[in-house]
Amino acid sequence: MTDMTAGAAPVRGTLVADAHTRKRNASEKRFRLYGAIAVSLAVIALVFLLTSIVRNGAGAFMQTYISLDVTLDAAKLDKSGNRNPVEMAKVTTFGYAPLIKDAMASTIAANGIEIEGLDKPEDLISKEASAQMRDVVLANPELVGETRRFEFVADGRIDGYYKGRVTMQSAERDSNVTPAQLRFADALKEAGLLETRFNWNFITWPDASENRPEVSGLGVAILGSFYMMLIVLGLALPIGVAASIYLEEFAPRNRLTDLIEVNISNLAAVPSIVFGILGLAIFINFVGLPQSAPIVGGLVLTLMTLPTIIITTRASLTAVPPSIREAALGVGASKMQTVFHHVLPLAGPGIMTGTIIGLAQALGETAPLLLIGMVAFVREYPSAPPEGFFEPATALPVQVFNWTQRADPAFIERASGAIIVLLVFLFIMNAIAVVLRRRFERRW
Amino acid sequence: MNDMRLIDRKTTMNEIKIAAEGVDVFYGESHALKDVSVDIEERTVTAFIGPSGCGKSTFLRCLNRMNDTIPTARVTGRITLDGEDIYAPSVDPVQLRAKVGMVFQKPNPFPKSIYDNVAYGPRIHGLSRNKAELDEIVENSLRRAALWDEAKDRLAEPGTGLSGGQQQRLCIARAVATAPEVLLMDEPCSALDPIATAQVEELIDELRQNFSVVIVTHSMQQAARVSQKTAFFHLGHLVEYDDTDTIFQNPRDTRTESYITGRIG
Repeated sequence: MTDMTAGAAPVRGTLVADAHTRKRNASEKRFRLYGAIAVSLAVIALVFLLTSIVRNGAGAFMQTYISLDVTLDAAKLDKSGNRNPVEMAKVTTFGYAPLIKDAMASTIAANGIEIEGLDKPEDLISKEASAQMRDVVLANPELVGETRRFEFVADGRIDGYYKGRVTMQSAERDSNVTPAQLRFADALKEAGLLETRFNWNFITWPDASENRPEVSGLGVAILGSFYMMLIVLGLALPIGVAASIYLEEFAPRNRLTDLIEVNISNLAAVPSIVFGILGLAIFINFVGLPQSAPIVGGLVLTLMTLPTIIITTRASLTAVPPSIREAALGVGASKMQTVFHHVLPLAGPGIMTGTIIGLAQALGETAPLLLIGMVAFVREYPSAPPEGFFEPATALPVQVFNWTQRADPAFIERASGAIIVLLVFLFIMNAIAVVLRRRFERRW
Repeated sequence: MNDMRLIDRKTTMNEIKIAAEGVDVFYGESHALKDVSVDIEERTVTAFIGPSGCGKSTFLRCLNRMNDTIPTARVTGRITLDGEDIYAPSVDPVQLRAKVGMVFQKPNPFPKSIYDNVAYGPRIHGLSRNKAELDEIVENSLRRAALWDEAKDRLAEPGTGLSGGQQQRLCIARAVATAPEVLLMDEPCSALDPIATAQVEELIDELRQNFSVVIVTHSMQQAARVSQKTAFFHLGHLVEYDDTDTIFQNPRDTRTESYITGRIG
C-alpha cells in the first residue's frame, strides 16, 4: 500500500516544476511584463513631451540682431539745441523712426546691396528699436549729432527666418514680411551686420506687446514668481511646521482635532481655482490688497501649499521612531525639549523635502493667479521687497498661458521657452530636495 | 569599605526606596494592573517576571510616570519615592525622571555622538557648570556602564554606530549620567546576544552598589542570576513578591510554581 509504484509513474522529483508552479511562475513573468510596459510608456511620454518642448522652445533662447550705424541727427532729436534731457524727452519714439530709415538706406548704399522689389527695409528691425535708441540718447544727451553703431533686435519674422519658422514660400503669403526682405536679411548677414546668438534678454526683459514678440522676455514673470515663492516660504513653512508639531505631538486626540485633521486632508484636495476665488474675495475685495500683486498671489499660494506642508511634516514626524521620544523623556527631557532636540532634527529632511515639493507645486500653479489679476500685461519691473510685494507683476506659468493666447507664432516659441525656464526651476528645486534628503538623512 | 559590607549583608536589611500601595492602571477600558503593592528596596536588584501582557512593564512605567505619555492611561493608588508621593499634583514628572532613570528594551541611543548621548541629560538638567565637569560626568558614566575603554577614543562618533550590546551600555551610561537614585530596566537584554547579555548582567550587579535597580525580564534565568528580590505578575495581579531564592526554590503560590517550571506563560 505504501509502495509508490516505482517505475510505472513518471518521475516527480520535488525540484521539478509541476503545473501549479509553472502557472505561478508564468503569472509572475506576466506581472513583470506589465510593469515594464507601464514604465516604458511613462518614459516614452516624458521623452516625447520634453523633446517637443525643447524643439519648440529652444529658439526662444536665440535671437537675431542687426547692427546699424545711426546718425543721431541733432535737428530731429534736439530742436532747441541745448541738450536738455527734459526738452529732448518731448521727442517721442516716432521722432526716432526716420533715423532708422535713413540708417538703413545708408547701410544699403555703403554695402552695395541691390535687392529687386525691396520695400520698407527698416521693417527688418523690431519696432522696439526706436524706443531702445531713445533710452540711450536720453541717458547720454552728448551723443546727439554723432554717428553711432547700434545693435538692434531683428523683427520677429526675420528672427523666425533664421530659426526655420519663416521660409521664402511662407513669406509670399505673409503680409508682414516679403521674400525681398528675407533676401535683404541674407545680404546683411553676408555683410556681417546680422547675427543670431544667445538671447539673455529673454530671461531679463519684461513682456512686450502683441506685435513685437522679439523683445518680450520673462523678467517680470521670474521676479513675480520669485517674490511669491519668498512669501510662500516665509508664511507656509513656519505656520505649517508649527501646526504639524502641535497636532502631532501636543494636541489631545479628540473630536475637534479629528475634525481639523480631516479638513486639512480635504483642503489638500480642493481644486486650486477655488483658492483663487477665495483670494479674490478675501484678500482683494475684503482686505483691499492691490490686484496683480505678488503679495496676494503669495497669500493664495500659501493657503494652497499649507496642507501639503502640514501633511508631509506630520508624516515625517510620525516616521521618527517612538523609541527616540521615550529615550529623551526617560532622561528627563520635557515634552518640548524632546520635540525640539530630538524629533524635529530627525524629521528635518522630510520637512524640507515636503516644503520644497510644496513650493514647486506653488511655482507651477496657474489657475488661482488668473483670478487675482496676475494675468495682466505688466511691463514695469516690481521694485525690491517689501514694496515690490505690493506692485503689479506676473508669474511664470501665467506668462506661458498669456503667450499661448497671442496670434504671432513667435509667441508659441516664447511660450515653450518659458516652459523650459519653468521646468529648469522646478528641476533645480527638486534636485535640492533630493540632495537635502540624502545629505541630512540620519539612520537610527 | 562600608559599601562592600553593605552588599555582603543580606538585602532584606535595606531601606525601602519605592513603596507602591494598591496601584491600579487602566488603558482606556482595559484594567491592565490590579491592586499591586510592592516595596522596592535601596541598593537591590528587583526583578519583575511573568508571562507577556501580565502588567510588569506597565507597573515599571508607573514608577517614573512614563505612563503619563499615553493619553488613555490612568493610574490610581499611591507610589512613593523616599516617602514622597510621585503622583502628587506638585510633582513634576520631568524632575522625577531625572531621579528615576530608565533603560528600554531596544537600545535607543540618540543619533548623535557618543559624548552627546551621555552629556544630554546633564546638559538639560544643568548638572555641570563647565566643559571640564561635563567631561568628568561623561567619563564616570561611561566607566560605570563599562563602556569607557571601548568608547574613549571614539567619543565623537555616532552612538548608533556601536554594536547592539555597546548601544545598550551607552543607554545605561546615558541613564546613569543624570545621577538617578533608581534605575528602571525594561527587558534590557532581550535584543542582545548572549555575550552582550552577560556583560550587561554583570553591569547590573555593579550598578547595585549605587542604585536601586528594577528590571523587567522574560528570562527567569536572568532574574535568578541578577536579582535579590523577585516579583511574579500574572494577568495584572502581583502574585508573589519575595527574595529571589525563595521565589525560585520555594514558591508559595501554585501559579508561581507553574510559571517557573514552565507550565504557564
